[in-house]
Amino acid sequence: MNLLKRLGLNKYEVGESHIRVNVEICRSCESKPCIAVCPAGTYEAQPDGTIVAHYERCLECGAALVACPYGAIAFKWPEKGISYRYG
Amino acid sequence: MSFDADVAVVGGGLGGLSAAISAAKEGLSVVLLERGAYSGSKNVSGGRIYVHSLLKLIPDALERAPLERPITRETYEVRCGDRRVTFTFQKRNRDSFSVLRAKLDDWLSHEAEAAGVLTSFDTQVTGARREGGGITVETNRGEFKVPLVIEADGVTAPTSRYLGIRRLTPEQFMVGVKEVVATKPELPEDEGEAKVVLGLTAGLKGGGFLYTNRESVSIGFTVKVESVQEKLVKTSELIEDYRESLGIEGEVLEYSAHLIPYMGYRGLPPLYAPNLMVVGDAAGMLISDGFVIRGMDLAIGSGTIAGQVAAKLREMNNFTRTDIYQSQLEDSFVMRDIKAAWKSFKGLSNPRFYEVYPQVICDVLDSMFSVGDRRLLKVAQERLRKEGLGLTSLARDLLWFT
Ligand SMILES: Cc1cc2nc3c(=O)[nH]c(=O)nc-3n(C[C@H](O)[C@H](O)[C@H](O)COP(=O)(O)OP(=O)(O)OC[C@H]3O[C@@H](n4cnc5c(N)ncnc54)[C@H](O)[C@@H]3O)c2cc1C
Ligand code: SF4
Repeated sequence: MNLLKRLGLNKYEVGESHIRVNVEICRSCESKPCIAVCPAGTYEAQPDGTIVAHYERCLECGAALVACPYGAIAFKWPEKGISYRYG
Repeated sequence: MSFDADVAVVGGGLGGLSAAISAAKEGLSVVLLERGAYSGSKNVSGGRIYVHSLLKLIPDALERAPLERPITRETYEVRCGDRRVTFTFQKRNRDSFSVLRAKLDDWLSHEAEAAGVLTSFDTQVTGARREGGGITVETNRGEFKVPLVIEADGVTAPTSRYLGIRRLTPEQFMVGVKEVVATKPELPEDEGEAKVVLGLTAGLKGGGFLYTNRESVSIGFTVKVESVQEKLVKTSELIEDYRESLGIEGEVLEYSAHLIPYMGYRGLPPLYAPNLMVVGDAAGMLISDGFVIRGMDLAIGSGTIAGQVAAKLREMNNFTRTDIYQSQLEDSFVMRDIKAAWKSFKGLSNPRFYEVYPQVICDVLDSMFSVGDRRLLKVAQERLRKEGLGLTSLARDLLWFT
């Protein structure tokens, strides 16, 4: 099942973005480990080497706090966000 | 200075709820701050709970808690391509149960309310500062001034970070990725299975799990964050490969993920500071020895102790003596078990367990059941030599677990 469908199974209440990426740092980041680490596929590379953060996909796992070795991701909990029904 | 309560518990997961219940039972006024809409709404485990510490806190929990199935079958599976080695150990017992956190935590939060805890949901702690002989906790619903904080805000330990006593680094964590799939397990009603699967994490350091619930299975894996950063395997895709390799069919009900502390006894963060006690995941309390993963019973155990120490501190009228918490932890199963797991923690950091040994085991068994050389040790030795290893290095690697 593709990722967006899987994420669509979850109950979210989406507000403002809780993730900021300093994309100037991303331009010179070759391997972009944030993309592999994030289970929600939140971080998407752009052709110009920057990153777009699809914050509304966030599963609030916390990995964003350590995923970027260069400190480009500023992450706080969203005000509402996900509510798991199983967990 | 006047305070809003005797103690503020930050985080309403299993650790925070246990702390709040145990402090309230001792007669303290307790306010519990949880950012989710209900307890469990943000929480993920595999999971299987060893119930010993829950039963200390709530003696009739087996009759009342929303537990799924008792785990009566322990299966260990090593995969190498399309070959696999499996063994199952069966024992009827009621020591551990599969659980779903949205149900379990929510239930425990009602127990907390019944015990007199003032719970405040949708309440996110956004800062903390020392002030007036206590700690002022900042939230989206205003500030709470208390002489004592029990921090139970989970693996990312926000309160410790706000107070400047904690920094997070990738090597301290695993990331767990999970799916709950609707399928009726082919097991008697009063039996459940826990399965550890090695060799399906694309060379990432870690392993897979499967737990049978009443009407569903929980499947997923836990892998070291550093390992993902190095190998660049997308965790969001690996989970699908994992489910397909297990051959699990059925409707996917939920997709979830969560960080897991992986620090070992020597790497634990500060467990206390004046006016502060840290419990559960926030304190790095996790055991993962290659066979079982345990965090929930440690969270409940450490929370219960923190609640009792809170009462003692109030009696002493001295909320800075939180070092008592540390010494009580050391005397309890919590630290004893974390300490005992230290060796397997070190052993499991050995990449050979993920990259070499699964293949070797399969190759050796393959030759056992084929026509040809069937002398186990000789085949093993030759196979290891191909990897530049010998039987002694294998023995040495395994000794970490004894
Ligand atoms: C994939 C996976 C499999 C696991 N398998 C097992 C298993 O089989 N057995 C086992 O025993 N353990 C297992 N664990 C570990 C177990 O889930 C944890 O150890 C346990 O949840 C820790 O409980 P806790 O109360 O310390 O933290 P949590 O359950 O994480 O609770 C923390 C609470 O704090 C709240 N919070 C966080 N920040 C704030 C804030 N700023 N303000 C207010 N509230 C906040 C959260 O919403 C949450 O409710 C597993 C973990 C994972 C991820
Ligand atoms: S966020 Fe960090 S890891 Fe991701 S692309 Fe930018 S610099 Fe690289």
